[in-house]
Amino acid sequence: MEEQESRAAKAAERMVSRDSFGELLAMATENVVALTRIGFDTMDMVWSNLRIAGRRDVARLARQIGRTEDKLELVLQELERLRDAETRTRPDAPSAVDGANSANRRPTRRSSKT
Amino acid sequence: MNPLERIARSPVAALEFANIVLTERDAPIAVTPKDVVWSHRATTLYRYRSNRRSYPVPVVLVFALINRPHIFDLRPGNSFVEFLLNEGFDVFLLDWGEPDEADAELGLEHYVCEQIPRALREVQRASGEEEATLLGWCIGGTLSLMHCAVEPQTPVRNLVLLTTPVDTSGSLYATWVARDSFDVDLVADVYGAVPGRTIDWANKLMKPVNNYWTTYRRLWQQVLDGKARREDYQAMAKWVADNPPFPGRAFRDWVTWMYKENRLVRGRMRLRGRRADLSAVEQNLLVITAGDDHIAPRQGTLPVLDQVGSQDVTHLDRPGGHIGLMAGSKARTEIWPDIAEWLAERSDR
Repeated sequence: MEEQESRAAKAAERMVSRDSFGELLAMATENVVALTRIGFDTMDMVWSNLRIAGRRDVARLARQIGRTEDKLELVLQELERLRDAETRTRPDAPSAVDGANSANRRPTRRSSKT
Repeated sequence: MNPLERIARSPVAALEFANIVLTERDAPIAVTPKDVVWSHRATTLYRYRSNRRSYPVPVVLVFALINRPHIFDLRPGNSFVEFLLNEGFDVFLLDWGEPDEADAELGLEHYVCEQIPRALREVQRASGEEEATLLGWCIGGTLSLMHCAVEPQTPVRNLVLLTTPVDTSGSLYATWVARDSFDVDLVADVYGAVPGRTIDWANKLMKPVNNYWTTYRRLWQQVLDGKARREDYQAMAKWVADNPPFPGRAFRDWVTWMYKENRLVRGRMRLRGRRADLSAVEQNLLVITAGDDHIAPRQGTLPVLDQVGSQDVTHLDRPGGHIGLMAGSKARTEIWPDIAEWLAERSDR
């Protein structure tokens, strides 16, 4: 039983590694994706005609929120750099990056996934 | 067990088999306590709690964009994270999270030139150390390698690459996706975020009999013999089935740049206008390959050894598969100690 299984496994691996299988897979993928696109477009059209926000609208909004989050991240980074620079210039300041020194440790920052 | 006993036991075994398969989602994985240090979009940087930190240079774990990084911390008793913590390392995990269509425009540059540098900066701030070890697995290894190649000022002191694709020519993936008839643009455009299930299906198709039959046949045999290791099976099965989407642009970049054009090893990879020059990688480098790896075959990783500029290069080649090498039952005794030893020698101030 196990020997047959092993032979079948090797035969299957040989089959999927063939160029012709790759060609078939590429074509099948293209067909599935094209059908999916037709489905997505149809659904979006239906929602749009019903004056209801569809998947595409929600994704667009989420993308805009994501871009805002990117900008916020840049601002926060800049703020941190300035704070580090200021800490370094203080006469009584320890080294800028010194986690062992809790007084200089930056509080944990987190921003949420949209 | 004689045939009669086997028949008598079959109904109970069938019930147990079904129970193991049906309840695999409830298996506790990635349970080592950790804190969020930083997050941006879908990405989160975690730091594992420990009171045993003895090596100053922190270790940052980076996993692939397919599957979750929970494999680093599969389950108590079989967790690489737990092992590193017990060895005295300060461990961080960079988790790419679950991208969705809103992240469709994020390409490889986002991960290599933005997220990894940001995460490293947060690691510096949280740990108080100026340098870190970057340990990447699979695509995570390639992203880490690209980061070191484009960022000469990176705080990475040590770079560890686990079963990492570098030269994709001749690989099975290349046979499938490098051909002109595979329209990666269409896939990326239609899905926005390529469904993880689709990528998982393609991965499993590489060894169809093993993945769709042998796994379950073996489990059935073990259940019938009363030797099934429920926790092990469920933890791995749960991890395998957890497939986050692959952001569309990153998918397009990955397939086009790495498979269709094989840019990295040819020295033609450019990220944000900067060339990812492997000879600029000067970190202490540990490269680990697996003899039976069909996803990132050894011959696809080895070219990195000749191209990097590092003075300190170590290569470990071990029997095992792409995932089994690090997460299999023998990993704890056969590969983790070697990694810890290599790190220990290079993690002092």
